[in-house]
Amino acid sequence: MSTSAALTVENAIAQLSAIVGQDCVHSHEELITVSPADTRQIAQVLHFANENGLVVTPAGSGTKQEWGNPVAAHIQLGTERMRSVREHSWQDMTCTVEAGCTWEALQAELQRHGQMVSLDPLWSDRATVGGIVAANDSGTLRLKYGGLRDLIIGMTIVLADGTIAKTGGKVVKNVAGYDLHKLMTGSFGTLGVIAEVNFRLHPLEEHVRTWSATASDAKQFEGPLRALLDSQIVPSSVQIRAKRAQCSLDIRVAAVPECLDKHAFDLDKIFSGFSLHDVEESIWHARQDLCDAGHAVIAKVSVLPGEVCAHIADLQSNAAANGIETYIVAQANGLMTIAFGASSDALIAGIEGLRTKLSASGGSVVVQQLPDALRGRLDVWGCDSNALPLMREIKRRFDPQRILNPGRFVGNI
Amino acid sequence: MLAASHIAELRAAVGPDGLITGESQLQTYECDGLTNFRVLPGAVALPRSTAEVQAVVRVCARHNIPFVSRGAGTGLSGGALPAEGGVVISLARMNRILEVDFVNRYVVVEPGVINAHVTQRVAPNGYFYAPDPSSQSVCTIGGNVAENSGGAHCLKYGFTVTHTLAVEVVLPSGELVTLGSPALDSPGYDLAGVFVGSEGTLGVATKITLRIVKRPEVVQTLLAAFDSPQAAGQTVSDIIAAGMLPSAMEIMDTLAIEAAEAAVHAHYPMCGGLLLIELDGPASEVETLMREVKVISEKNGAAEIRLAQSDEERMLVWKGRKAAFAAVGRISPNYIVQDGVIPRTALPRVLAEIERMAAAVNLRVANVFHAGDGNLHPLVLYDRAIAGQEEVALDLSYRILHLCVDSGGSITGEHGVGKEKQEALGYMFSEPDLATMQLVRCAFDPANIANPDKVFPRTRLCADRPGPYKPHPLETAGVAEIF
Repeated sequence: MSTSAALTVENAIAQLSAIVGQDCVHSHEELITVSPADTRQIAQVLHFANENGLVVTPAGSGTKQEWGNPVAAHIQLGTERMRSVREHSWQDMTCTVEAGCTWEALQAELQRHGQMVSLDPLWSDRATVGGIVAANDSGTLRLKYGGLRDLIIGMTIVLADGTIAKTGGKVVKNVAGYDLHKLMTGSFGTLGVIAEVNFRLHPLEEHVRTWSATASDAKQFEGPLRALLDSQIVPSSVQIRAKRAQCSLDIRVAAVPECLDKHAFDLDKIFSGFSLHDVEESIWHARQDLCDAGHAVIAKVSVLPGEVCAHIADLQSNAAANGIETYIVAQANGLMTIAFGASSDALIAGIEGLRTKLSASGGSVVVQQLPDALRGRLDVWGCDSNALPLMREIKRRFDPQRILNPGRFVGNI
Repeated sequence: MLAASHIAELRAAVGPDGLITGESQLQTYECDGLTNFRVLPGAVALPRSTAEVQAVVRVCARHNIPFVSRGAGTGLSGGALPAEGGVVISLARMNRILEVDFVNRYVVVEPGVINAHVTQRVAPNGYFYAPDPSSQSVCTIGGNVAENSGGAHCLKYGFTVTHTLAVEVVLPSGELVTLGSPALDSPGYDLAGVFVGSEGTLGVATKITLRIVKRPEVVQTLLAAFDSPQAAGQTVSDIIAAGMLPSAMEIMDTLAIEAAEAAVHAHYPMCGGLLLIELDGPASEVETLMREVKVISEKNGAAEIRLAQSDEERMLVWKGRKAAFAAVGRISPNYIVQDGVIPRTALPRVLAEIERMAAAVNLRVANVFHAGDGNLHPLVLYDRAIAGQEEVALDLSYRILHLCVDSGGSITGEHGVGKEKQEALGYMFSEPDLATMQLVRCAFDPANIANPDKVFPRTRLCADRPGPYKPHPLETAGVAEIF
């Protein structure tokens, strides 16, 4: 414990044990892991840490701890004891869930009444609500249902000093006060600890079909993709998978059974030059499969939706020219996950070049996975926003002692 | 009063024709749609560009002068009420649509652009701008962003925040920042998400990037007449439970129907609870689902079910609905508008309770509401000429808000907190909640000059009272419905 001379690790463990119970505090080398049972205990742990200048990193199941800059924490605050779905008002189509609940467990509970939070994040079997929200993860369903910003209606958070605050509420339509839950979503645990989240829900997609088409060049999809998005078909998901000289475009449509055939007919017309065929739903795990494949570098790239095909084509031809294996899973909304087979100076230059190219249209490249050797040589966030001083000021107001994930976020926030 | 030197600086910022200081002209700006609060501003600046907005705000920042930005002034919670001796920044002259991008489905507009003009601009290409507050023919995008405006169709399409990709903001220091981006998930805090709905307390929006949406193939509107609003409410719950998401579901009770009929002759069936359901989407889907809606309505005892047969009929149905609130003026000399939200399932119980509360004080309450999302607009009817009745009506309207909070809802679904509901916000949120919101406010506006003394409860302990309704000048002139 370097930050507080009077406090030894043993002493800290004793005090934290008094808050959460002896069985829920562990230490390994200099890191103490603490598992509070409820929001009040989170508040007590944070209050203790804040008083003693101890750095805290909140953690769910740890699936995305590599994202962002590394943090040298004294305390890892785990949410694994806070796993319950506290309320499912199925007739109001809302729910309240604790941060440590895994996505799959939450969805299983909601499914009992034919409902879901319409989001398909990574590693849903392990990833927790708190971690998914803190990292603002989203998947293929975002095209139709929006992202977490559109699905979260309220939150209970705990600030660095132990203040417990509620924001929003349990109704979908609500303009009372500031929407702090929007500030917390995607803030990577730098402003507070998410204790509970209130979601709006949607009915499960009961009747679903997925089609796929292939091409050698993503640009061939440009016209049909635009026609699809301009049509009366409202797809739940549209993704393009690209590797070497091969691209696939996948489309999922959910509709009443009477209408699915009509949509199939319309899709055939739109993709008349392609061989459109039914495929298994497992195709929608493509992003997760890419993340799990052991590639050296993985980046989240955001481009304008109308430019997805063109960027994929460019990336593919660059990859061919530079000899860097490049794999892409892109959503039609412009969010792409790109994996690079090898890390090198050329790759770093390539990522920086891509950032420059995208910045004109508001696009971005965030590196989520990077070999340790390259950390420090590349800014993983690449945030050039003129609002960065304002973001720093918000951090300063919320966490003046910088105990919550200091340095992890954009601009070393 | 503003010092002469400050006025000179402001004039230099916007030019001689960009500043109003004459008392009679200033009176135009002394209130918004909540007309019972009035404050004469020290000056009104009419900037033409972002640079001029910055120049005005810098003068305010330099001398610690409070400023209030303002669009069309149709807000119903006093959000655009001037600060005493402060500057009103009217964005009316910044009314250009700067960019339309159909490939990426967004438009970039200045804050003074009228909501309906966005749809008008993109409609020929088969798109529309989804948020549709009833004042959409006059209200501006800047005001919509400040209030996170909704409308009848936000049940399916979401609110202003759902459709706001980026906002260029002049901070209360005069600095210019861009929050968000037309591409999703720009790195950093989601400050665009926080800014939308902040009611002018975090800065002045000078450029807004809005999502546009593909127009649905067909739209069908159904009227179903029930004995009571409760039966209509149950139908709403059953439709949602069946997994459908109509684009709008609205309920009117007998008093509201009477008023609407008197005003626009919408040919509504007279009944205890009228349900208006709109479905949109691909033709085959809408037809299938509408059949299901009819079955559910019949199961809940609908005495009459009527599908609008033409676009004209559909428009008339909506005209009646949108005019209903103002039309209440025909059946009552005075009335108070409320805006509360409850969980949908609480509807029958809350409506019964409102009825009981009204009967207990011998007043009538007309109900018109966005039933799909539980957004109530109770109208408390009274006669100011009867001694003491206004106070009783105000008290009742205030207690209805508390009832909404006690039922797990909110004090406002779309009108905002503004001046009117500052104290009610303190009923809904605890001190730590409010203090946490203040952290955000202080980061944006440490000097507290952007729309000060709004939204958050004042330090005094006495409760605020919502004001009686007085028609907005635009409404009196027949230019727009306000609700």
